[in-house]
Amino acid sequence: MKTRHYCAFSRRAILLSATSLAVSLMTNGGVLATPAKAEAMLSMHIEEQTSWVRNFNPFDLAGRRQSTMDFIYEPLVIFNADDGGKPIFRLATSYKFSDDLKSITYVLRDGVKWSDGQPLTSADVKYTLELMLKNPATDTVGVGETVASVEAPSPSEVKINLKDVNTEFPESLADFPVVPEHVWKDVADPVAFKNENPVGSGPMTEIRRFTPQVYEQCRNPNYWDAASLRVDCLKLPQISGNDQMLALLPEGTMDWIGSFLPQIDKTFVTLDPKNNGYWQPPAETVAFQMNLKTGNAANAQAFNDLNFRRAFSLAMDRASMVDVAGFGYPVASQHASGLPPRFEAWRNKAAEGAADEWMAYDVGKANKVLDDAGYKKGADNFRTTPDGQPIAFTIIIPNGWTDWIDDAQIAAEGLRAAGLNVSVATPEYEQWQKQLLEGSFDVALNSRADGSTPFRGYYQSMSTAFGGRITSAATRYSNPKLDETFNAYRKATSDEERRKLFDEIQVIVADDMPMVPVFNGPTWYQYSTKRFTGWVTDKEPVMNPENHDNNRMRLVHLLRLKPVQ
Amino acid sequence: MRISSRRLGVYTIALVFAIVMNFTVPRLMPGTPVDAMIAQLGSRATPAAIEAIKARFGAVDAPIATQFVDYLKGLATLDLGVSVKYYPQTVVAVLSRSALWTAFLVVTAILFSLLVGVTLGAVAAWRRGGRFDTIVSPLSVVMIAVPPVIIALTTLFLFGVSLRWFPVGYAYDPSLDPGLNFAFVGSVFFHAIMPVLTLSPYLIGEFQTTMRSSMISVLGEDYVTMGRAKGLTSMTVMFGYGARNAMLPVLTNLALMLGAVFGGSIVTEIVFNYPGLGLTLFTASVARDYPVIQGQLLMMTMATLGANLLVDIIYGLVDPRLREAAQ
Repeated sequence: MKTRHYCAFSRRAILLSATSLAVSLMTNGGVLATPAKAEAMLSMHIEEQTSWVRNFNPFDLAGRRQSTMDFIYEPLVIFNADDGGKPIFRLATSYKFSDDLKSITYVLRDGVKWSDGQPLTSADVKYTLELMLKNPATDTVGVGETVASVEAPSPSEVKINLKDVNTEFPESLADFPVVPEHVWKDVADPVAFKNENPVGSGPMTEIRRFTPQVYEQCRNPNYWDAASLRVDCLKLPQISGNDQMLALLPEGTMDWIGSFLPQIDKTFVTLDPKNNGYWQPPAETVAFQMNLKTGNAANAQAFNDLNFRRAFSLAMDRASMVDVAGFGYPVASQHASGLPPRFEAWRNKAAEGAADEWMAYDVGKANKVLDDAGYKKGADNFRTTPDGQPIAFTIIIPNGWTDWIDDAQIAAEGLRAAGLNVSVATPEYEQWQKQLLEGSFDVALNSRADGSTPFRGYYQSMSTAFGGRITSAATRYSNPKLDETFNAYRKATSDEERRKLFDEIQVIVADDMPMVPVFNGPTWYQYSTKRFTGWVTDKEPVMNPENHDNNRMRLVHLLRLKPVQ
Repeated sequence: MRISSRRLGVYTIALVFAIVMNFTVPRLMPGTPVDAMIAQLGSRATPAAIEAIKARFGAVDAPIATQFVDYLKGLATLDLGVSVKYYPQTVVAVLSRSALWTAFLVVTAILFSLLVGVTLGAVAAWRRGGRFDTIVSPLSVVMIAVPPVIIALTTLFLFGVSLRWFPVGYAYDPSLDPGLNFAFVGSVFFHAIMPVLTLSPYLIGEFQTTMRSSMISVLGEDYVTMGRAKGLTSMTVMFGYGARNAMLPVLTNLALMLGAVFGGSIVTEIVFNYPGLGLTLFTASVARDYPVIQGQLLMMTMATLGANLLVDIIYGLVDPRLREAAQ
């Protein structure tokens, strides 16, 4: 009995070991099976939401996922603000204005296919433009105001006829999404359509997985520039706020993020000093914007007086705003023109000098300027207008924006030291925006969006045409001379002419100080080299590195990345 | 177990009041959903986009009377409307997604706390004045007083971020797909540990305190003395005779606490990014999504009223004395 048991055991053992040996030989043979290449998955965080909704409709500005533009829909031409606004041709290979400058022809790249295999032709571009012209609700770019009609003389040429001479047009078309006619012509309501399974021309068009907590957007099987693309998938986990981001960082799972991380060296870099990095170059100009058309007559009188605005500027302690309120991230404004540092190449030194004296922090001088201009102190020891009406205003800041709230408090302290009756209020963000659009506020701290050249920021915030229609144009500033210069710029035909006109714009703005610039906010950009390399850093400052929806260069940034082997 | 018509009358009045309040309260907040949507665009908003949003959702600016009539019509047909923020998803779709998770969290927290709290209360009452009682009972009162937000943030920071023992968010691991498999169910429970532990202290404290005081009065009854005299073990008397009767006030408390737990779960869900009703209500409030806010408030009111009604019925069933009295 014992012997049999022993034999059986040993026989089983031999059989087992023989089989396992054979199996291991087969799998470790090496010749038969090549190991599958690991998929390059990039985890990124672009927008804060409490739950993902499957919406990739490029015409739904409010509802679309912020990985729709650039990654699903390839742009025609984009411009690099950090490289003097140089064009980078994507779907188009060139564009040319006609001799009378009232039409522009784009030449499309050959051989581009949609992600479902159909060819991308001028018919698609024509269709999309006409859709926007017919249906203003889909017009995310503003072509309704600039484009008269569009023609497709050949499958690779698109001729756009403009309503008026406008040499700025190519820059404004950078945000234009070309959609496939063969899909969208059957869509009943192009704004309500969720576009859950998009057909696109960009690098990442396939929605492989979508849950309310995470979605994966993967490689376009027919991408025209597949040779440059080394990332296979984008993974976007749902993150509801900065606090959640901070809690997630120690796990080391994120590659490309754009959040406000206080004390970033301590909260981010120390988690993985070899790989975690950031670059937060100064971005848009943040300024105190006075509502020049406010309903309060005394305030309106004061705000429209250049002396008052200059005194306001002298009471601003910009250094404290940057170091104390902003954790040292922003860069204080030094020039009255408010030119963002990224457009250093456009700087007109002639606009500085005397105008920049008003950018110093000198409460004593502020008091003197107000005294000389006739703003006497009333019975309550607060200043009144020269004809005796009391001046009192509130600075509004969005609720929860703690750094801006602190900036406003610092400003209020300075203004009170100059004898002005100032308070700070923090309505909810939606209410703050509403007050800016309605003009029912006195003073607000506000930023203005930049384009790929500095022109757009100035034009959209200080022209009469835009006054009060968008949030950047809250001051409702109206200066006929400036409007004239803006219009001349839009008709300019050469770079030298544009340079000259923009020099003039800087002089006008510096001298008249329509708003009081205080600092340039940081670009929110953090990265990790754990899984990918090729990141844009301060040592290689070639483009705007952020992954947010306002930055078209994020497409080029993606194509630079390659997985760590 | 007949419910008296007077009791039903009270419930009906409560329901009518709830319906009116659900409509009024969201509209007392300044701003409309249209403002919220325009604000979301930030500086990207072109004049055309702003006009387009106003044109599409302008209906929310209709006169109050019209809105109220639409609301009542919707209620009658059980049509809670279409969400503004998650357009064009219906309110029912939005709420059903999150209701499941909150229900899971709340039920787990209540069951867990009931077990722990009742046991602690029973033991504390049995050994009244002893060492166990002098430590546990004041501690329970403290636990009732500590705001859930403090517990949530402390547990998140300690166990989630510093020690990395537990996940810092989500209802389950985002890389898993929902399904009745071990991995998914395990992940759900693992992710629920911290939120449940956050909701529990308050509940445990409440149950312990109520149970203890109710138990003390029961222990003074004759039948308990009788049980001890009969020679039954302490455990049998404590649980079979004492706890069983002392539980009844605890059950009534349960229905009332349902509302409080929902309130506490809002903060917990926000801190732990848990996709439940609390987070939905928070997002809807910020976006002024009237249909979702109305729908959710109504659902929560109905749930509380329903729970009260249920407890009334159960009480009648469980306590023979009430059954006798009704007949």
